[in-house]
Amino acid sequence: MDGIPPVSPAPGGPDPRVAALEAELAAVRRREAEFRAKMVHEFLDRGERNTYLHVLHEERAELIKRQQESFADLEDLTRRLEAESARAAELEAALGEVRGSWAWRLAAPLRAAARAIRRKAPAPAAGRAQVEGGVFTYYLHTSPFRIYRDPRFTLRGWAWPQDGRAVTAVRVCIDGRAFDGRHGLEEPEVVKRYGPQPSNPRPGFEVTFETPAGRHSLSLEAQVEGAAWRRIMATSIWCEPRGR
Amino acid sequence: MAPDHGDLDLVRAPRPMSDEAKARWQAAASSLGERSAYKKVWDLQARDPDVASLSVAGHTDEATLELTARGFIDTLRSTVGVGPDDVVLEIGCGIARVGRPLSRECLHWFGADISAEMLGHAAARLGDRPNTTLVELSTVGLQEFPRDAFDLVYCTVVFMHLFEWDRYRYVEEALRVLRPGGRCYFDNFSLDSEHGWNVFMEGARYPLERRPAHLSMSSSREELGTYLRRAGFTDVRVHDLPNELIAATGRKPD
Repeated sequence: MDGIPPVSPAPGGPDPRVAALEAELAAVRRREAEFRAKMVHEFLDRGERNTYLHVLHEERAELIKRQQESFADLEDLTRRLEAESARAAELEAALGEVRGSWAWRLAAPLRAAARAIRRKAPAPAAGRAQVEGGVFTYYLHTSPFRIYRDPRFTLRGWAWPQDGRAVTAVRVCIDGRAFDGRHGLEEPEVVKRYGPQPSNPRPGFEVTFETPAGRHSLSLEAQVEGAAWRRIMATSIWCEPRGR
Repeated sequence: MAPDHGDLDLVRAPRPMSDEAKARWQAAASSLGERSAYKKVWDLQARDPDVASLSVAGHTDEATLELTARGFIDTLRSTVGVGPDDVVLEIGCGIARVGRPLSRECLHWFGADISAEMLGHAAARLGDRPNTTLVELSTVGLQEFPRDAFDLVYCTVVFMHLFEWDRYRYVEEALRVLRPGGRCYFDNFSLDSEHGWNVFMEGARYPLERRPAHLSMSSSREELGTYLRRAGFTDVRVHDLPNELIAATGRKPD
């Protein structure tokens, strides 16, 4: 269908200039075809990159969704804090009124006697002695700073003591109740970034704990070299099951 | 070069198929309701290399594949021409039955198919052909390819497996990806041939609920010609081929 346009032959035989032009035209046509084949390959390569880009877009959308959920939780917690602050102010005002009353002043000797008795009595046994804080390098993949909606939550992350000693166990304490976790999990990216940790070659851990409704204290703790427990971090948490 | 009619007959798969091969083919069949799910239907057909060959060419041995492909390349030469500087795209290349020999006669051969399994077999057959590229289509159409890129786009023994709308979609897409002046070729079997009528009756004999998704469906001359003209091709011609196939060819306007 396609072809080189016919050229009138020169009298007395083919004109060498025409032959040269035809050869040049054929070379141009071939270069143009090669260019088009290359263009298709580049287009296909870009298509593959677009596929990867699509995966990145999906991940980005998921992260934005999680960020929005976190913001919603933060807003909720801020409102609760405001409400609790207002209530605390009301209670402070009421307490001030009580303290200024005639009855409070009248009962002052009785309160002093009660304080003296309490000082002499032995201290009640604590459910679990609070552990000392330690100095750790750590990161939590699943943030504990949230409103807990499900009956259980798994805290995942990695940690090692900055003094280079080995972590031999990990646990989470919720209001003093301990939940043992798994430690010694692989964290190749962390080792790549921070370098090998001779005492903690696999610094990953995960701890699943129950989250009953209400406000609790959470303490993430590590046992160092089979001896003392040390606190990695602690915070208050708020658990509110879905549908409330 | 004149087409070799004897070789072209092989495209219709008149060779007897072994019972064992038939059974495997039947086992790989999807129901007609899934006909539009081309990727699923053809991936299933292509899992077994022999079934893949049977379903796209009607035979499994390499010598016959080469012979039928040669016959088809003769048809291409006599209808739209094939040149050494051509950048060629085959729609529905299957196991690269045609692409393997055709790549010796063109600058670069691109084979597109919706079935990744088919392309796996094609890749194995094209290992020694550096001027070939296989592309998996994500869906009906040629969105993976740029516009104005090819000298020749062809599609052979594929339309019989597609619904009419999808046939037209490929014709439209061929116009887009061809360079101005580029040529196209689409074929199918015709209902008004003996072979076409036999295939039609074979399909009619299937119990309604057991009609397979890959059941071959014919075209008419008017249908193929209309697709090309409506899509915007010029110099549209419909050819009666000696193997009872019909083919429509056209040219993208300059």
